Amino acid sequence: MRVNGRPVPFDPRDPQLAATRLLDVLRDRLGLTGSKEGCGVGECGACAVLIDGRSACSCLVLTGQVAGNEITTVEGLADRGHGDLQAAFVRHHAVQCGYCIPGVLTSCAALLERNATPQRDDVTTALGGNLCRCTGYQRFTDAVCDVAAARRGAAPADDGDGDGDGPVGAVGSANSDGQRAGGS
Amino acid sequence: MTAPITSMHIARTADDADRLLSTGTEAVPLAGGTDLLVQRRSGRSVPAVVDLSGLDGDPVTRLENGALRLAATASLTDIAAGLDGRFPALLDAIAVFAAETIRNRATLGGNLATGSPAADTVPALLAADAVVELRGRDRRRQVTMVDFLLGPRRVDLRAGEWIESLWLPAPPGAGGMRKVAGRRAQAISLVSLAWQWELDPHGRRTAVRLAMGAVAPTVVRLRRAEAVLEGAPSTPEVAAQAAAAVSADIRPIDDLRAGADYRRRCAAGLLREVLGDVPPSTPSTPSAQIRSTHR
Repeated sequence: MRVNGRPVPFDPRDPQLAATRLLDVLRDRLGLTGSKEGCGVGECGACAVLIDGRSACSCLVLTGQVAGNEITTVEGLADRGHGDLQAAFVRHHAVQCGYCIPGVLTSCAALLERNATPQRDDVTTALGGNLCRCTGYQRFTDAVCDVAAARRGAAPADDGDGDGDGPVGAVGSANSDGQRAGGS
Repeated sequence: MTAPITSMHIARTADDADRLLSTGTEAVPLAGGTDLLVQRRSGRSVPAVVDLSGLDGDPVTRLENGALRLAATASLTDIAAGLDGRFPALLDAIAVFAAETIRNRATLGGNLATGSPAADTVPALLAADAVVELRGRDRRRQVTMVDFLLGPRRVDLRAGEWIESLWLPAPPGAGGMRKVAGRRAQAISLVSLAWQWELDPHGRRTAVRLAMGAVAPTVVRLRRAEAVLEGAPSTPEVAAQAAAAVSADIRPIDDLRAGADYRRRCAAGLLREVLGDVPPSTPSTPSAQIRSTHR
């Protein structure tokens, strides 16, 4: 088992660890407290991590089940090439209380890894298992589409949301983002 | 306080799983964990598990006659990718199943074994006449879906057994699944409907199979509605007759998600929508999206 690119300093098949939730091992054994426990039953996605590049709730995985897998937590997203995604979240003011963000970023990273040209609906689907009660999903979606466009090396002519405001994420420029979101 | 799991064994092969599940009477099969570990948190005692999530094998195998074998311990994401457009009813069901974080782990075997009348993949499997392949130490047996589903939270799965695969006759061209629920993700169905049929050159439906979830103690076939539709032309009158027949096929209850009366009206309306008699009133399923992105 590797976590954020490094082998773990214990045996994940050790009987006691094997039967412990991945979330607890990440937080308590490895000190990776980015992943949060929200509901503990797979509804909220605050504990979402990547398992071999796929988003999953670490509260519903036993460590022994992923003893041979590659785990990525929010702490490892930048090393995996998603620093631009995190920066875009900051630029788009996509974070308020922040509790859901590690899981949201993880699910968005998984989407970008399998789909270089996500549409806004794709982001909605990818975030079906991540609850946010502050910011809402508009700004997450703006950030993801912005990053996808930047990675393709082109500023998009249209951000695909049908409002004709052109590319999102033109930070500092006068786009309609503040208006649309009520300037929160 | 959730009681700890004191014993966890990892099955590397199917024979391993047979052996590990036969040695302790307490051990239960664990695959995706998205249901069992939730039940555990709600108080179910799960002292020992045998992990089946690492078993090798193709998620979907296509036989020469078009029949499909689906691995019961593969993730729904892998099943959807392996189906590659075949079996539209199951693809639709996977598209509306919980959310991606769950679909990446959850399995057909787990969704079947939990015995929920609202389980999202079960209507498609029942409508398709799937056969459940069970195994344990020194035994193997095949059970039809209709015999496997015994009641709420009750299925024909004996101690020491686990679900290895599902066998399906070649799926027909026309089919799908719709669910009605409070939200588009992470929601338990109030009513769900899977259907399949063949259209003959005269526009008549044949080999009509309908299965509905969350309206009876188990997912049920709508045999009276099927009889109305079989061989009949696609007219508004036939659709109305079929919708009226649904009421005798189901036995819904009041629960915290919906009342029995609402479920009855919903069930009839859902069938009319599926028959094209009235336009769909809820967003279409994102299955096309799932098909294209979960490769």
